[in-house]
Amino acid sequence: MKRNRMFMLALVALVLLPGLLFAMPAAEEKGGKEMRLAWWGNPTRDERTLKAADMFMAKYPEVKIESETTGWAGYWDKLNTQAAAGSLPDLIQHDYAYMLQWVTRNQLADLTPYIKDGTIDLSKVNDSFLTGGMVDGKLYGISLGTNAVCLTYDPAVLAKAGIAKPDTATWTWDDFERIAIEVYRKTGVQTIPFFTTDPRVGFEHLIRQQGDVLFGTTGLGFTDVSALREFYAIQLRLQDAGALIKPEVAFVSVSPEEGEFAKGRSWVEFIWSNQFVATQNAAGRPLELGLMPILKGAKAKGTYLKPSMFFSIPAKAANPKDAARFLNYFLNDIEVNDMLMGERGVPIPDDVRNHMATKVDAINKQIFDFISLASTNSGPIDPPDPPASGEFLKMVRDVTQEILLKRISLDAGVAKIMNEGNNILK
Amino acid sequence: MKQTIRPKRSLADDIAGYAFISPWLLGFIAFSVIPIFFSLYYSFTSYDILGSPVFNGLDNFRRMAHDKLFWQSLKVTFFYAFISVPLRLLFAFFVAMLFNRGTRAIRVYQAVYYIPSLVGGSIAIAVMWRRIFIADGVLNAVLAKIGIITDYSWIGSPDTAIWTLIILAVWQFGSSMLIFLAGLRQIPTEYYEAASIDGAGAMRKFAHITVPQITPVLFFNLIMQLISGFTVFTQAFVVSGGTGDPLNSTLVYALYLYQRAFKYYDMGYSSAMAWVLVLIIGVMTAIVFKTSTSWVFYESKEGK
Repeated sequence: MKRNRMFMLALVALVLLPGLLFAMPAAEEKGGKEMRLAWWGNPTRDERTLKAADMFMAKYPEVKIESETTGWAGYWDKLNTQAAAGSLPDLIQHDYAYMLQWVTRNQLADLTPYIKDGTIDLSKVNDSFLTGGMVDGKLYGISLGTNAVCLTYDPAVLAKAGIAKPDTATWTWDDFERIAIEVYRKTGVQTIPFFTTDPRVGFEHLIRQQGDVLFGTTGLGFTDVSALREFYAIQLRLQDAGALIKPEVAFVSVSPEEGEFAKGRSWVEFIWSNQFVATQNAAGRPLELGLMPILKGAKAKGTYLKPSMFFSIPAKAANPKDAARFLNYFLNDIEVNDMLMGERGVPIPDDVRNHMATKVDAINKQIFDFISLASTNSGPIDPPDPPASGEFLKMVRDVTQEILLKRISLDAGVAKIMNEGNNILK
Repeated sequence: MKQTIRPKRSLADDIAGYAFISPWLLGFIAFSVIPIFFSLYYSFTSYDILGSPVFNGLDNFRRMAHDKLFWQSLKVTFFYAFISVPLRLLFAFFVAMLFNRGTRAIRVYQAVYYIPSLVGGSIAIAVMWRRIFIADGVLNAVLAKIGIITDYSWIGSPDTAIWTLIILAVWQFGSSMLIFLAGLRQIPTEYYEAASIDGAGAMRKFAHITVPQITPVLFFNLIMQLISGFTVFTQAFVVSGGTGDPLNSTLVYALYLYQRAFKYYDMGYSSAMAWVLVLIIGVMTAIVFKTSTSWVFYESKEGK
C-alpha cells in the first residue's frame, strides 16, 4: 500500500501545483517597495523613460520602479482592464481625452495633498499649464510637456514653386488654398486631406474661431455649421482642382515613413507639435513648422496649448507616495530632463524649459520656437472630452471619408455630423 | 432487456483522472467558464468597465435594432464568411488533391503550405498585405508590368477592401488542406483499382469515389471554417489598423464588438453582441447539420 500512498501524494501535488503557480506573483507583490509606472510610447520614449527610472533608482535605492509600456491603442485596453480588476499601476501616463471619464468614475487621486506637503514642487510652473489637468478645482494630472496643433510644410517645394514662406501667425485659409493650388500647378505636388487620423482636430480649430466649443454638456456645443462646412468645402475645392490627394490613399493607416507627406507627395502635413521629431525623421528633409491658418472673420483663437502626456496617480494606487516622488523628479530634475530632451513635449517648469532651450538640437529648437509662437497666438483650452467622444470621433472620420469620396453631398454630410453627433453625445 | 455492465471504478481512479487534467481544467474554468458566465450577466447590464455594471434588462438587445454599425458589421461578416469559406475549402481541397500522390518532397510542401495558417494573423503579414494592395503597392506594380497602369488603392477603396481580407483568408488554407489530405489518404485504393478495371476514367473516379468518400471530412471542415469565418478578428484588426476602414467595409462583427467594449467603454452592449453571435453561429451550424443527411456519405449507412 506504500506505493499507493506515494501515488496519492503525487496526485495531490499535481492538483495543487497550478494553484500555487497562480498565487505566486501575488505573494511577491506584497514584499518589496515597488512603484509601478505605465506609459504609452515608441522606442525612443521607452528607452528614455526607462533610463529616467534607472536614474531615479540610483538616487533613491529604496524605491524599485517596475515599468509597463505599450503603444497607444493597446495601452488603453490594458489600462481599462486593470482599472476593472483594481490592479492599476501607481503612476500612469494619461490623456486629456480620457481624463474627465476617469475622474467621474473616481479612478484618479487628487494630487493637491502632495503639492501641499511638498512632495511635488510646482513653484516654477505657471498656472496656465496646470488648468488642463484640473476638474472642479482639483488637480488630477500633471503634464510633462506642452503641445499644440500645427502644420508642417516642405520649404523646398514652396521654393521650387516660387512662393515665399508664409507668415503663419497671420495667414488665412484663403492664403492656404491659393498656395496649395499654386504648388500643384507649378510642381504637381498635392495637398493631403486635413487630419486624416482624427479630422475633429482640424474642424475644432475652425469652430473655436467662430467663438464656439465643439462639445457642449448634452450634445455638440455649436449650432452654426458654417465653420464645419468650410472645413470640408476647402478640401472639396482643392479636390476639384486636382490638388488633393485621393482619400482612398490618404486614409489608409500607415506608419509615418509610408505616409504621403514623407514620400514627398504632399507639401504639407497636419500634426501635433510633439509629432514633429517623428515626422521629420520619416521625411528625412528640412521642414518648417507653423500655425494653422485663420478663418475669415475669426472671433477667437483656434489654437490652444494642450497639456500632453499627463501623469496621474490612480485613486487606489498601492504606492502613491513613491509615485508622487518620482513624478516630481520626472518633472523638475534638470539632469533627467537633459536626458529626456523634451521628448514628451516642451517642459512646463520655467527653469527646466529655459535650460532646455539652450541645449536642444535644431529640430527641437523649431518646436520650442513654435510653442512660444503658439503661446502668444492661442486661446484657453476647452473642457476635456465627454465620455462618448470616442464614438463621435469614429463617426466623424467615417463621414469625412464619405464626403471626400463623394458618396454624400457636402450639406448632407454636415447635417449627418450634426444629427448623429447630437445623438451620440446626448 | 440487456443490462449494461459498467466496470467498477474506484474513487482513486476518478481523482487521478481529474488530477491529470487539472492544469487544463483550472485554466478552462478561470479563463473560459467564469468569463462566459460574466459576459452573460453583463449582457443584461450597462457596464462601462470603470464603474459597476447596472442591470438594464433587454436594453442592449433593443439598442442593436437601431444600431447602423451593428447591421453593417453583420453584413460584412456574412459576406466575408459566405465568400471566404467556400473559396478556402475549394482551394484547400485542390491543393490536397495535388499533394495526394506521395512524392518524397511532399512533407516539405505540406510544411511550406501550412506556414500561412500560422503567420496569417501576425503584424508582419498585415504590413505586407497593405504593401501589396496600396496604390503604389506590389499588385499595381505587377499590373503595370503587363500593361495595366492604375493607381487604384485596393485596400483604401470601400468596394474592394473586404476582398483583400478574403484573399488573406483563402491564402491561409493550410489546416483545412491537411485535414483533406488525411481524408484522401483514408480512401481505400481498392475502390480506384476496381473502378480502373471497370474502365472508369479519372473524372469518373473523382466524381464517384473521391468526392463521396471525402464528404465527412468536408462536413467537418465546413463547420470549423464557418465558425472561424464568423468570428474573424485578427486579420481585420491588423490590416485596417483596428478601424474597420475604409467606410466600415472591413468592420467585421468581432472587430465592432471589440471597439464597443474597449474603445467606447460599452462592455454591456458588447457582451450582448457576443451572445447574439453565439446564437447566429449556433443557427448556421444547425442548418449545416440538418442538411448534412442529404449530402454527407457514411459507409455504415450504405450497408442498410
